[in-house]
Parts: sequence; structure tokens; C-alpha cells
Amino acid sequence: MNGEIPLEGSRGFTYGLRQSLTIVIGYAPVAVTFGLLATQFGLTYWEAGLMSFFVYAGASQFIAIEMLHQGASPVMIGLTTLIVNIRHLLMSLSVVPYFSERTLPWSLALAQGLTDETFVLNSKVLKDVAGEENRRRVMLGINLGAFSSWFVFTLLGGLIGKWLPIQFSGFQFALLSLFIILTTMSLSKKNYLTYLLAAILAIVFKLLIPGKIYLILSVALAAGIGAWWRKREGR
Amino acid sequence: MSNQLLETILLMTVVTYGARVLPFLLFKGKNVQGFARDFIELVPIALLAALVIPELVTPNGTIVIIHNPFLWAGLLTFLFTKFVPNLFLGIIFGMTVFWGLDKLLL
Repeated sequence: MNGEIPLEGSRGFTYGLRQSLTIVIGYAPVAVTFGLLATQFGLTYWEAGLMSFFVYAGASQFIAIEMLHQGASPVMIGLTTLIVNIRHLLMSLSVVPYFSERTLPWSLALAQGLTDETFVLNSKVLKDVAGEENRRRVMLGINLGAFSSWFVFTLLGGLIGKWLPIQFSGFQFALLSLFIILTTMSLSKKNYLTYLLAAILAIVFKLLIPGKIYLILSVALAAGIGAWWRKREGR
Repeated sequence: MSNQLLETILLMTVVTYGARVLPFLLFKGKNVQGFARDFIELVPIALLAALVIPELVTPNGTIVIIHNPFLWAGLLTFLFTKFVPNLFLGIIFGMTVFWGLDKLLL
């Protein structure tokens, strides 16, 4: 509708869609990997697709298929997902000010597509878009581009896993590799002590307590102590 | 599809979408500060530690060092990704090294 007027303030849905291209390319291999692993872990390709469609949160989906495989209960997986994804609250809080006039349908729609990656891109793009109407359309374009990629490439990965049932012991290390990469990408001077503390607590709790409770216990304790320590340091 | 999977996807959707949509429904836009903010910021890194390290050190429920392909593949993947921070290459590297060590050490 407003894409035809070649003015600075007329950025809309198509502009957002074009901006999302970097995320579309970035998501593709990860989503294919998820679909492939999900089928290796006993899901069908459309069950993997369904999870990507509704949950749409990378790390927690990988964790979920691993936990499902190990026989964890839905409640346990739900709780783990909650602690993994609670950070979306922060990202959501930080984009909300761009949409002070939003209606309920817009709120429901824009919230759906918020991920780590779309958050970073939206924060960068939206501050240069004038007018709330335009900002809504731009964000919708960015979100829809990224979401479609995640969903479609999950299905593709699932289909590859279905048609090429590969026997390869390396697959049991794929998730751990992914988590290790995420670790090296996010470790910093500000959080490595929390990381070490969580690692030690997790080993001790895993050896002492049966089941998967050790995950939540060690994460809550380590993040709690880490946050308390930061506050004490006055930073 | 099993009920267990359906229930899992449902719960995951509720908590994830909930975290995304609540600020849109409730806030005009202010930021969480202090302890709560630090806590939420530290959760992902703590979770990565809890997910990875016990799997590397105690793959069968007891601490194993030498004959443990998980531990050595993990350490090598850590090193590799420190120099090559690429998601796809890292996964390929990790799987291949694990597969090789699994053959060698068992």
C-alpha cells in the first residue's frame, strides 16, 4: 500500500521482508539441522515442523528433542523451556516503546515473531523508521521472513532425515556441538564465573539427584548467585 | 502424534509465547532493572554450562576422564569454535571428531 511512494518515511512490509534476508540465510542451516536431528530422535518431519511453527525458539527446541529422547516429562520440558526463554520478556519490553498506539491484534502478531535474531535486527532498523504504522509493517515483514525460513527449512531437514536415514554415531554429538558453539559465542568476562559455577553445580547435582532436576536447580542457583554478586559489586 | 509430544509442544508454546506477548499486553515500555535483569541475563550461559558439562564429564552417570570420547570431542570442539565461530562448521567438526574418537577409544 505504501511501498509505492518513494519517500524516506514510507518504509513498509516489503522493506522489512528484504531486511530479514540475513536472518533467513542464517536460520536455514540451523533449521535443517533441527529437522534432521528431530527425525533422528524419533519425531516425524511434520511433528518437527509443528514444533517449529508453534514454539519457534531454536535452542529450546533442540533441548526439547534431547529431553524427549531421554524420557523427560512434558512438565519438565515445559519448565526448562520457561527458563531458557524467559529472556524474551526482556527483548519484548525493549521493543514495546516503538508501538505505543498498538491494538490487540498487532500486539499478538508482533510478539509472535520475536527471537534473539529478529530482536537485534528490529532494534537496529526500527529506530530509523518514522511513524508507528510503518514501524509495525516493517517489524511484521522482518518477523515473517525469519519465521518462514525457520519453518520451511525445518520441514526440509525433516524430509532429508526421512529419505536418507543415515547411521552415524556422530549425530549423538551434534546437539552438544551446537551448545558448545553457542557457549564460545556468548562467554565473556562478565559471565564466565556464573558459567563455571553452573558447571560444577550441575555435575554435583547430576551425580546426587536422579532425573533431570539438576538442570533447573543448577541454573537457578548459579544465575541467582551471579546476579547477587553483580549487585554486591555495584555494577 | 503421541499425547506426550502434543502436551510438550503445547506447554513450550504457552511459556515461550507468554514471555513474548506479556510486555506487549501489559506495558507502555519500561525496563526491568537490578537483580531480575542480571538474573535473566545470566540464565542462558548458566544453562549452557548445565546442559553441556555434565554430559561431557559424566556420560554414563560416573566421572570418566581417559576413555571418554564426549570429554575429548567436547574440548576439541571448544577450541575449534573459539577460532572458527561458525555454527554449521562447528557442528560438522564436533560430529566428525566424536565419531573418530568413539572408534578409537572404545
